[in-house]
Amino acid sequence: MAMVDEPLYPIAVLIDELKNDDIQLRLNSIRRLSTIARALGEERTRKELIPFLSENSDDDDEVLLAMAEELGVFIPFVGGIEYAHVLLPPLESLCTVEETCVREKAVDSLCKIGSQMRETDLVDSFVPLVKRLAAGEWFAARVSACGIFHVAYQGCTDVLKTELRSTYSLLCQDDMPMVRRAAASNLGKFATTVESTYLIAEIMTMFDDLTKDDQDSVRLLAVEGCAALGKLLEPQDCVARILPVIVNFSQDKSWRVRYMVANQLYELCEAVGPDCTKTDLVPAYVRLLRDNEAEVRIAAAGKVTKFCRLLNPELAIQHILPCVKELSSDSSQHVRSALASVIMGMAPILGKDSTIEHLLPIFLSLLKDEFPDVRLNIISKLDQVNQVIGIDLLSQSLLPAIVELAEDRHWRVRLAIIEYVPLLASQLGIGFFDDKLGALCMQWLQDKVYSIREAAANNLKRLAEEFGPEWAMQHLVPQVLDMVNNPHYLHRMMVLRAISLMAPVMGSEITCSKFLPVVVEASKDRVPNIKFNVAKLLQSLIPIVDQSVVDKTIRQCLVDLSEDPDVDVRYFANQALNSIDGTTAAQS
Amino acid sequence: MWKQIISKLPKKSSSKNHSSSTSKTSDNGAGKSGNSHAKNAPAVKPAADSGFRDGNSKGNGPYEALPSFKDVPNAEKQSLCLRKLNLCSLAFDFSDPTKNVKEKEIKRQTLLDLVDYVASPNGKFSETVIQEAVKMVSVNIFRTLNPQPRENKVIDALDLEEEEPSMDPAWPHLQLVYEILLRLIASPETDTKLAKKYIDQSFVSRLLDLFDSEDPRERDCLKTVLHRIYGKFMVHRPFIRKSINNIFYRFVFETEKHNGIAEFLEILGSIINGFALPLKDEHKVFLVRALIPLHKPKCLQMYHQQLSYCITQFVEKDCKLADTVIRGLLKSWPVTNSSKEVMFLNELEEVLEATQPPEFQRCMVPLFRQVARCLNSLHFQVAERALFLWNNDHIENLIMQNRKVILPIIFPALERNTQKHWNQAVHSLTLNVQKIFNDVDADLFKECLGKFREDESKEAEIGAKREATWKRLEDIGNQKQKSSL
Repeated sequence: MAMVDEPLYPIAVLIDELKNDDIQLRLNSIRRLSTIARALGEERTRKELIPFLSENSDDDDEVLLAMAEELGVFIPFVGGIEYAHVLLPPLESLCTVEETCVREKAVDSLCKIGSQMRETDLVDSFVPLVKRLAAGEWFAARVSACGIFHVAYQGCTDVLKTELRSTYSLLCQDDMPMVRRAAASNLGKFATTVESTYLIAEIMTMFDDLTKDDQDSVRLLAVEGCAALGKLLEPQDCVARILPVIVNFSQDKSWRVRYMVANQLYELCEAVGPDCTKTDLVPAYVRLLRDNEAEVRIAAAGKVTKFCRLLNPELAIQHILPCVKELSSDSSQHVRSALASVIMGMAPILGKDSTIEHLLPIFLSLLKDEFPDVRLNIISKLDQVNQVIGIDLLSQSLLPAIVELAEDRHWRVRLAIIEYVPLLASQLGIGFFDDKLGALCMQWLQDKVYSIREAAANNLKRLAEEFGPEWAMQHLVPQVLDMVNNPHYLHRMMVLRAISLMAPVMGSEITCSKFLPVVVEASKDRVPNIKFNVAKLLQSLIPIVDQSVVDKTIRQCLVDLSEDPDVDVRYFANQALNSIDGTTAAQS
Repeated sequence: MWKQIISKLPKKSSSKNHSSSTSKTSDNGAGKSGNSHAKNAPAVKPAADSGFRDGNSKGNGPYEALPSFKDVPNAEKQSLCLRKLNLCSLAFDFSDPTKNVKEKEIKRQTLLDLVDYVASPNGKFSETVIQEAVKMVSVNIFRTLNPQPRENKVIDALDLEEEEPSMDPAWPHLQLVYEILLRLIASPETDTKLAKKYIDQSFVSRLLDLFDSEDPRERDCLKTVLHRIYGKFMVHRPFIRKSINNIFYRFVFETEKHNGIAEFLEILGSIINGFALPLKDEHKVFLVRALIPLHKPKCLQMYHQQLSYCITQFVEKDCKLADTVIRGLLKSWPVTNSSKEVMFLNELEEVLEATQPPEFQRCMVPLFRQVARCLNSLHFQVAERALFLWNNDHIENLIMQNRKVILPIIFPALERNTQKHWNQAVHSLTLNVQKIFNDVDADLFKECLGKFREDESKEAEIGAKREATWKRLEDIGNQKQKSSL
């Protein structure tokens, strides 16, 4: 370690590394900025490292991105909160670069730092930074500015607050749509920090301007602000100022705007209260559910449950349900699919009678939909309906459809059904299971799709857990073991898979008496894949059965396999043998 | 505007029309009522739908063909033209080909008449004609573009280029309407001063929105129309340039999705071609802030040819810009996308072709670091394309004049290629390039070879030293922290 005596200049190391041609090395060094800082100590970090970084904003975007991120957590390395302001200059210059990711990260970091700064520092250095960025010549700076107003505003003096508000209002009217979009998307955040007296007077004026923008991309973002602003306002103000806007937007000529409204509408209901919801928002929502544009209907359909949750059941039945019926046979499969993914949630809202009367027919028609995603979405939420209408009705009306789906030609649908079977079994009880689903469970083991066979094996294990070893001994094990004579080796292999999963549940005795003979027999199969799977399976059985069985049966079988002509069989047999020796060694 | 049109049609027909039309008509001007009445899914309610159709055919009785222009005396032609324009100011729903078949044909014939009328010399167009024509065009072409069907969206992200363009079913009418607009603008009979009252900023800005259309035929028409507007209406020029810039910014920095970038660039190409020298600062800013960043999006392939043309135009006009352009390319050089990299190399060659020694010298160090990486690319097309730079006499000259700087940068890459590049063509092309250097300056070549061998032998040592240095820095940091506690 002769090098130890050489003097080491941390900054020089960094400068050197950042000159390297290999971007990965430059990235690595930026990621280790904190190491440099700690080696330098707080004071020299402030006086040397940070100024150096401020001037080094000409690197690749990826390096700059890493730098923006590191600086966000750098306060401890410059000496704590009271020195936080020294971190602002490098981040300020990162806020003005071309690449969006870098700017966004720099804004994030500025927010992190600003929110920890002392109020005096905020006024002295953070607010001027906001003002500089907001007056930036290039849009990048002004876009970044929009994202940090809310941090600056909180700890400011009244005079500065007035100034910040008027600056923000200028950004909302900026010449460039880029900037107006940024202002629109940050308005909600800014508004949460503004005092309520100015909310109506100033923020809402900005909001009104943005909602009238001629670019639909700006209006779009203004919609997003509606809900956030609505929650800040007093209900009567919300009704007066936000409601007309949202009702207007729900009829905007751009479908993208209507789409946004469809996504946001339910959040507004809380803000305006039940009366206005009933008179204004329900009609607006119904319009959206019947929009011309499939995209809008998709968004609206996806919110149907959330929206109904805010209404009383009568209103939902009277106004929303007819639309839901229409949507369940919509011409767009994506609309139906969106509806199917949420419609089950309506059952608890409507209550038992209405569910049976109105929803059940819709469920059934969606279950028979020609598009697999639709069917899938229904199946995966069946338990919610079960809770409302009870198991008897469910099994009468829905089960036939489910059984039909168990043989669906899309394997993902079959998979969904299989995964749902243990739940179904636990709810339906043993009796029902024996009649209808038992046969299916065995059929799946021989499916032509591997994922289904695998899931079927897993399903057997879960059923055994649910109903106990005794039941499984009667209803599952004989059928499974029968398959070991199947002419197709893949199906024989599934028997081994099923055994490996079920053995831990069934316990040592059944494993020894029922499974082990079958496995030993399988070790004489003509297909090597079966044989090395036997070896793997035997290895997994070792911890389950008694040592005597291991010594007597398993070891012998493995020794035979370890002399097999096939290299893979020998390999796995030896592995298993080693693990026997390992456990014996550990025990002795 | 809609009220006027509708008032000339029988009440019944207009309301029926609304309720049976789909988004196209309803989004147009009748936005509100359209959205609230018009129902999707004719499939859901076949009975109601056929009911509407019956109503339509009855109600649309008066939608009848007007006499041909040649059948009326000259004095009446203008008023006939106005009536025809009015007749065409109704957009039909083309999503259902069985709907309004007769009316659609009447409108198509009328549009054809209008195309001829606008093209033939009749004396100056009156203000009313221009106003009504622009109105008719607006009703027909300004509509919300339909979103892509969902199915495409996933694939879309994978390969934008191979997707089938979607064709607008309303094209038989749209095409003629665009034709009328184009002829109206191009016609010497159109008084620009009068026309600019109607072809105003709002009109232009809605025209620009349409460039996102999926239909390539429509974008092609739009391109010609916008180019003519740019040529004829001087007042709109700054606005058009600014708006296109804004579309580019949004595309590059926000959405990376727009169908009309190539068409915009084609127009800009010819605008740039006409820039007077010396270039105004405004135009240089445009190059740096809008054109160069357009290299970033991953769908560059869709408009690279046009972009490359614009960029080389700039460099050819003012060779001092070469350095800026090359640095710009380097900044957004693709890391993993080989086909994009080949495009960059193509463009680079074109730019270098127009580059003079002073600018070349200013950017050659970072440039040849990148070239060195390309030379070693495992994708043979990239490596090959980089090696082809030496086939260009002008570029070879630039390189050879500066070989003392360039060879040391690229030597390791060349040597690694000859030692172990998998591709035979790359291998032999590399040998060729090495030979060029060796022939011109054998001493330098030998020197670089020596340095390469030395560096190679030290590589592991340098790596170990770097790790050790960082380790020591960490130790120092830990010590400092301990002592301060």
